[in-house]
Amino acid sequence: MFLTKLAIKNLWRHRNRTLITSTIIAFAIFYYILLDSMIGGMTQMSYQTLIDYEAGHLQLVNQAYWVEEEELPLENLLVVDEQIISDIEKLKGYRGSSPELNFQALLNNGINELPVIGKGIDPERFDDVFFLEDQYVEGSMFSTGQYQAVIGKRLADLLQLEVGDYITLLVKDKNKTFNTIDVELAGLVHTGNPNVNNNFVYLPLGLVQQALNVDNQVSKVIIRLENAGLAKQAASELRDKVKGIDNRLQVYSWDELEAVAVASAKQAGAQLMLVIILLIAAIAIVNTVILAALERMEEIGMMKAMGLQVKEIVYIFVLESAGIGILGGLIGVILGAIGVWLFNIYGLDFDAWMNVDMASFGIPVIGKMYGVWNPQAFVMVFSFGVLVSLLASIFPAYWAADKDPVKAINHR
Amino acid sequence: MALLEMRGVTKIYQQGKIPVPALRGIDLTVEQGEFTTIFGPSGSGKTTMLNMIGCLDKPTSGTIIFDGKDLGKLDKKGLAQLRRYNIGFVFQSYNLIPVLTAYENVEFALRLVNRYDKKQLKERVLQILADVGLAGLENRRPNELSGGQKQRVAIARALVKEPKLVLADEPSANLDSKTSEEVLEVMVKMNQELGTTFIFSTHDPQVMEYAHRMLEVRDGLISEDQRRDRSHVSD
Repeated sequence: MFLTKLAIKNLWRHRNRTLITSTIIAFAIFYYILLDSMIGGMTQMSYQTLIDYEAGHLQLVNQAYWVEEEELPLENLLVVDEQIISDIEKLKGYRGSSPELNFQALLNNGINELPVIGKGIDPERFDDVFFLEDQYVEGSMFSTGQYQAVIGKRLADLLQLEVGDYITLLVKDKNKTFNTIDVELAGLVHTGNPNVNNNFVYLPLGLVQQALNVDNQVSKVIIRLENAGLAKQAASELRDKVKGIDNRLQVYSWDELEAVAVASAKQAGAQLMLVIILLIAAIAIVNTVILAALERMEEIGMMKAMGLQVKEIVYIFVLESAGIGILGGLIGVILGAIGVWLFNIYGLDFDAWMNVDMASFGIPVIGKMYGVWNPQAFVMVFSFGVLVSLLASIFPAYWAADKDPVKAINHR
Repeated sequence: MALLEMRGVTKIYQQGKIPVPALRGIDLTVEQGEFTTIFGPSGSGKTTMLNMIGCLDKPTSGTIIFDGKDLGKLDKKGLAQLRRYNIGFVFQSYNLIPVLTAYENVEFALRLVNRYDKKQLKERVLQILADVGLAGLENRRPNELSGGQKQRVAIARALVKEPKLVLADEPSANLDSKTSEEVLEVMVKMNQELGTTFIFSTHDPQVMEYAHRMLEVRDGLISEDQRRDRSHVSD
């Protein structure tokens, strides 16, 4: 108890040093909290853009198609009958559903050619699921039966295309026979989803089915619910129902998509930042403890003469360092909370700030980006901050406490 | 009964590749309750001898028996335990802890031996501070005390746990003659009432006046061992 009291008193012995070291730790913690909030915000936005422009909440698909989906095969497609539509519409929180037929194609503007992903869609149902409606920078969505297409503004810029221009899609139909689809550009969109901006070509479903020779089959049906939280339960419910109709059918929710796993991995990668930050804190602590130990060497010698064990002297230093860690941690967490609060209110406008389109770097941000509250990060970084401060002090404290008492007393 | 026995104790320091002998073979027996002073010129080995007796340093060769225990057979932990309960130190440079008050500096030593309850501990600390003439200055920190007052806190810290042995390096160096006498009287009282053994390194004739025994150290050896009657010292 007396040693604890001594450690606390020592904490204020060199107030400036304690405050400077605490500030370094506080800054590291503050920085991590902001970074975590920003990455959390980006991840959330990337999930949202994935749902809003690409994946919806649920996908009804043939199991065999799902396995080979990356190849965009024209086999193992599905026919959406009335029973399935009825089951989908009865889902809790149902908002809309949209069939799509995906295929590989080469987009040709007459001079250049680019590989793209074609999407045959039903324009009347598409807007019930996807939020492309507000993202047109030019033109608009085509109507059913028209020989028209919608592509991303970025893809259009690459091929120097404008609304009204004609494009040709070179495709292979179900029988591996080459075919072409000639359409007029009806609209250009720009979203936070880089796939929509760079790779997708939306076409009328009927036209695509005819060109690919797949009758009335589609690759999948995308379903939108009132919110993402309903997806898991709805997926399970629909899975049970469609299995009764055709046991090859399967239902996946948005969080089972590969893209979500990639986004989560990116977030996990941010933990590396935590290691760097904690390393900064550790170096600050080691430096402070060594300085304090050198200054107090005679005092340490005296304590040893009084019969204090090495572990008791180490305890004094470690407790002091933990105190600095707690102080720095508290300041960092408070500053971090203020930072995240401001970040959530005002957001960060990358477009205005750096005049850079973040979507072109694959970062799903259009306009302002907002942070997210992650209490877990607050608790974790604070605990780690204190723990690292404590652990980092053990070695230098032991170095000082294990000194020969005579040498320590006569240090000067 | 002998509290301390040193047999053929040598200490050789290495200065680079050159061995420098500080003690060349000390044979000494100190009985429980002796009041001993060690004197001699600078560099004669007085401080090294005190460090050996105080279990702060180990000899290069020879044996030291303290209170029946062979110090050569104790590890660092064992030596620390022995110092904690049996030895009080007074160093010339005080080595007080600056963030603690005079009271707390003394209390620290007593807390380590864990011998008293809270009330007794307080009484004991206040008593010893009063004995060394620091009544009323208990709450002052070392930077608010004069050199002599700091030395008295250091003395109180060494005496408070009533150790078997008190070792002091020039204890009266920073005290005026009146205070020095007062402090020495406290020590004599402890010596007589509790049988505490005192070993001082000093040049101060006033301190020597109080000694039962005077050891002169020269070139790492005890050159003279004088015992004398101390009946002239007041009880």
